[in-house]
Amino acid sequence: MHIPDGYLGPQTYLPAWGVMAPVWSWASARLKRTLRRRQLPMMALAAAFTFVVMMFNVPLPGGTSGHAVGSVLVAVLLGPWVAVVAVSVALAVQALLFGDGGITALAANCLTMAVIMPFAGWWTYGLLAGRAGSTPRRRALAAGIGGYVGVNAAALATGVLLGIQPLIAHDASGRPLYCPFGLAVAVPAMALPHLLAIGFVEAAVTGLGLAYLMRTEPDIPIAATPGPGNRPLRRLAATVAVLALLAPLGLIAAARLGAGTAWGEWSAGELSALAGRLPAGFGRLSSLWRAPLPDYGPPGAEASPMASQALWYGVSAALGIAAIVAVVLALRRLLAGKDSDDAAP
Amino acid sequence: MSGTGGETVFAVADASFAYPAQTPCLEGVSFAVERGERLALVGANGSGKSTLLHLLDGLYFPASGSVSYLGQPLSEAALEAAPFGPRFRADVGFLFQNSDAQLFCPTVEDELAFGPLQMGWRQDEVERRIADTLTMLEIGKLRDRAPASLSAGEKKRVALASLLVLAPSVLLLDEPTGGLDPRSQSLLLEILDGLHGRGITLITATHDLTLLPHLADRVLVLSEEHRLVVDGTPENVLADTGVLLAVNLIHAHSHRHGRLVHSHPHQHVVAHEHAHDDEPGHGHDRLGDRKEPER
Amino acid sequence: MTPLPEWLRPGFAPGVAAPRQRRGSLRPLRRALAALEAVLSMLVSDSRDDRRTGLLRKADPRAKLLAGVVLIIAATLLHGLATLGLCLALAVGLAAAGRVRPVRIAAVLGASLALTTLVMAPATLDVVTPGAPVLTVARPGGGSLGPFRLPATVAVTGAGLAVAARMLLRTSACVTLALVLAATSRPQELLTGLRALGVPQAFVMVLTMTERYLAVLLRAAQELHLARLARSIGGIGVRREEAWAAAGIGAVFRRTRTLADAVTLAMIARGFTGEVRLLRPPRWRRLDWLVVTAAALAAVALVAADRGLA
Repeated sequence: MHIPDGYLGPQTYLPAWGVMAPVWSWASARLKRTLRRRQLPMMALAAAFTFVVMMFNVPLPGGTSGHAVGSVLVAVLLGPWVAVVAVSVALAVQALLFGDGGITALAANCLTMAVIMPFAGWWTYGLLAGRAGSTPRRRALAAGIGGYVGVNAAALATGVLLGIQPLIAHDASGRPLYCPFGLAVAVPAMALPHLLAIGFVEAAVTGLGLAYLMRTEPDIPIAATPGPGNRPLRRLAATVAVLALLAPLGLIAAARLGAGTAWGEWSAGELSALAGRLPAGFGRLSSLWRAPLPDYGPPGAEASPMASQALWYGVSAALGIAAIVAVVLALRRLLAGKDSDDAAP
Repeated sequence: MSGTGGETVFAVADASFAYPAQTPCLEGVSFAVERGERLALVGANGSGKSTLLHLLDGLYFPASGSVSYLGQPLSEAALEAAPFGPRFRADVGFLFQNSDAQLFCPTVEDELAFGPLQMGWRQDEVERRIADTLTMLEIGKLRDRAPASLSAGEKKRVALASLLVLAPSVLLLDEPTGGLDPRSQSLLLEILDGLHGRGITLITATHDLTLLPHLADRVLVLSEEHRLVVDGTPENVLADTGVLLAVNLIHAHSHRHGRLVHSHPHQHVVAHEHAHDDEPGHGHDRLGDRKEPER
Repeated sequence: MTPLPEWLRPGFAPGVAAPRQRRGSLRPLRRALAALEAVLSMLVSDSRDDRRTGLLRKADPRAKLLAGVVLIIAATLLHGLATLGLCLALAVGLAAAGRVRPVRIAAVLGASLALTTLVMAPATLDVVTPGAPVLTVARPGGGSLGPFRLPATVAVTGAGLAVAARMLLRTSACVTLALVLAATSRPQELLTGLRALGVPQAFVMVLTMTERYLAVLLRAAQELHLARLARSIGGIGVRREEAWAAAGIGAVFRRTRTLADAVTLAMIARGFTGEVRLLRPPRWRRLDWLVVTAAALAAVALVAADRGLA
């Protein structure tokens, strides 16, 4: 799943660096607070451990074998923020010292394997085994499923990163400059092998690894899974994320089924077409505010292909959610005064 | 008790310690160490001697009782406050049993620089000290090497160098000769001798009894019940086979001379002599009608 | 000592032989072990393996790192086949000047070319990259197969070939430049050199410590594999193999945790309070500035030529 150099254009890999830099800072600051002087050696050794996990050859039924990434195992054992740093460092060492995975693409690889994967896996684990009274068996199973979900989330993200290259970078004659395979090819090409085979390697390593450690060291501190107080929030976050991902489906369904605009949500043009005329007030007020993303896409995008509209739909969903979360967090901060411990990362 | 007279460096008063959720590893240990002494802590595996060193270095704190350095009880608060904290860390050096854990920097030079930089010394002073220490221990050619590529003996010397560069007045050594070949061992002992000559207090934890006369003027023996049972000179302690047997540092040992089997409590030294006559505590059997040797 | 059991003597009749079972091969285990050892040998260099040879010997690793990254970024900005070819040639030239063993250059280049060719092959076809056909590859003859509509012919297009060639050249150039970086500096120097790229000191220390302890953990993993090999006749079935791998990973994790605790204590014992302080590295000399400037100029020239020609 490591993306080499040359497959992603700077329009993709530079923003990836832009996204990862604050994530790394945040992770590092947060860990410094919780681990203090243990932070440095713990990060380094967790990173070395991740590297070693990536080297274990795990067999699959059918005679093949594969390698796991290990991000979810590290997240379950040491916490998702440790996983963010540890996996990033492991990927950096791989890229710089062994030429495994690109240097310009390092941030993008970290985004998929060191952020999306551990958090997706850890949230899944928390959802399935978050209660304090979970048996070891249930935890191991939950961890295994978390591993499967995590690695597939990462594979999906990788497929998306590769698949959008033809959309965003082409030469004068419209030919793709970087990865030439679009979403329709890249996403299945990444997702299917992981769904059908590689995902199970990750599940085995994560689940069985945790099971082994719980057996041999019964008091091993498993990274605090979201406790009862936090579970509702986790569920909410997971639900919102899933809904955001599914949002573009509405667009596609509407177009396919010729559904048109929902009742009452007509724009000025649609209303005048439907009713034969436009109420005077409507005409005055409708030009008062120009939304930055009219119809959930850039201005004039209605004519673009479905895929790009769907993409903008998803982007709008993400931006909208981010805006709401930001406002809510700001309000909490204002109202609560002192900093209370984490509810959402 | 020998000592070069005067200042009490460490005072341990009825210290007890247990790792979280585990059985105790030190029970009510009390003793004092004077400046310039060479002290050895001996005991079987698990007797607590390594833990005691960790307590002396303020890495763990006793559950009850106290450990004091120059009169100041060691506690988390005391060690995090200047000037005592940094002063203590520079004054007391700990040579870990696992050199790999101790050498965590990219190169030998960085390793030596770590302590002084933490102390906040100026760069040129740091560089001067590093150069002198490398020369003293004859490891100048290792300056740019990565610790992972060094041999066990070299690692030990680099680890020691990383402590000496701070000019400590006390050295705590945890099984310093473990895993070293004979030459590296004797080199290390030579260096420790030189340091003792400079008045540096040495406290060594070891279970290698052959080293005691070379390492220490005073020996504390810890039992498997994690208590201090003997405090004496190396000669007295080594001669007290009863105690050594009781703390499981030696065992009843058998060897053959021709068709005779000797069984007697003895230490594992490379060679030893004794007469073939019957002496108290010795038993001679012929092969074929062996019994369990008596302790 | 308790007397030895009767059967513990050389040549005692062995127990009943286990019935002939078809055992899996141990080759995956040996391959995994070989992979581990390959990585280990790259990490633990002894004093004789001084990587600082050749033209780039005297340059500071920070300068080399900066130059390398600049050139790799340039490579990702090039679109024209001619400029990409030039870039690749430059990369190979640098590798040669840096006295990287030709076998290694060939191996790295070869692997990258092979993999990229495989991945890019479908991109040459007109189903992916439309354009004027150059070579017809298949004639499914239209019609449909399930939900998919088959094209009349499948052909390699000139445009497809150009796209594939571009990818091939670019990935090879990047991979070779990365090789130059990795092969002409010692691992620790390369990581410490990241400070020149603006990476904070704390992160640099984590990176160098990771590399430092990677060998230790890899050796632990190597011992696990060797121990298994020494007592195995053959494979033990997928379930048990997975359990073995999980147990091995668990054992390495325990080692990880113990080592992390021990290193923490060792750092505290030498006065570590949480703030990383590193030795001030030596100042840049003229050669270092030369290396970086040359790389920057080459990068700018390549990109300018690329945009000019495109």
